[in-house]
Amino acid sequence: MRFMIIVKSNQQCEDGMTPDDSFMAEMAKYNDDLAKAGVLLEPDLKGARVRFSGGKSTVIDGPFAETKELVGGFWIWNVKSKREAIEWVKRCPIPKLGGEVEIEIREVLEDDPMVAAIPQLRERRRAAVRE
Amino acid sequence: MRFMIIVKATKDSEAGVMPNERLLAEMGKFNEELAKAGVLLAGEGLQPSSKGARVKFSGSKRTVIDGPFAETKELIAGFWLWKVKSKEEAIEWVKRCPNPHNEDCDIEIRQVFEADDFGAEFTPELREQEERIRAQVDAKRR
Repeated sequence: MRFMIIVKSNQQCEDGMTPDDSFMAEMAKYNDDLAKAGVLLEPDLKGARVRFSGGKSTVIDGPFAETKELVGGFWIWNVKSKREAIEWVKRCPIPKLGGEVEIEIREVLEDDPMVAAIPQLRERRRAAVRE
Repeated sequence: MRFMIIVKATKDSEAGVMPNERLLAEMGKFNEELAKAGVLLAGEGLQPSSKGARVKFSGSKRTVIDGPFAETKELIAGFWLWKVKSKEEAIEWVKRCPNPHNEDCDIEIRQVFEADDFGAEFTPELREQEERIRAQVDAKRR
């Protein structure tokens, strides 16, 4: 099963702070562990939001106020169950940056017709499932 | 520049309602145009949040909360990764996107960090490690 792991943003993240050396090293080690275990499929943000209302669209420029609902970053993982994804998330070093951190785990649609129309994406998915 | 294009959830997407044939055809055509223009890097749709979970971190404590989550409009239903020249170009593409739901919805455009954005903190050793991880991931994909 594939899961999208969404690291929610917090104030520090929206202010554009840059993590220090030791954190970067710890994060790289975590990513390395994920890659070695065959879990990691897709590594890894400023913005605008486009609002749809029927056929009409409205553009709203960022930054956006609802910090905790924004995405700070994400991964795509290939694991056997939601429980396995949760166990990996618990080991994530991101909370060491401080502040309250929340990470969301969402299952990816394996037969999503919205993206199945694209040959290159279909091929990538097949490769991921084969693993 | 790379952008993450986030399709926000709606009541229907959270209820697991799948798109109709007309929308699928329109979205297929849009995806083809993105691919032909060299804009499309990746894209995925997500299952409703009822199949997901959240892990809250507070100091050394970790609390697991199973889905579904109430704030539908802030949830993600799907996303793309695009490679474009500017935020404006990303906005122009998004405006051409068929409305992904049968109701009002938001699409959020977020710039992705590139290695150079981290500056000196992202040391040569770390860059090397990152490249190795990416190569490992790519090899698995093939």
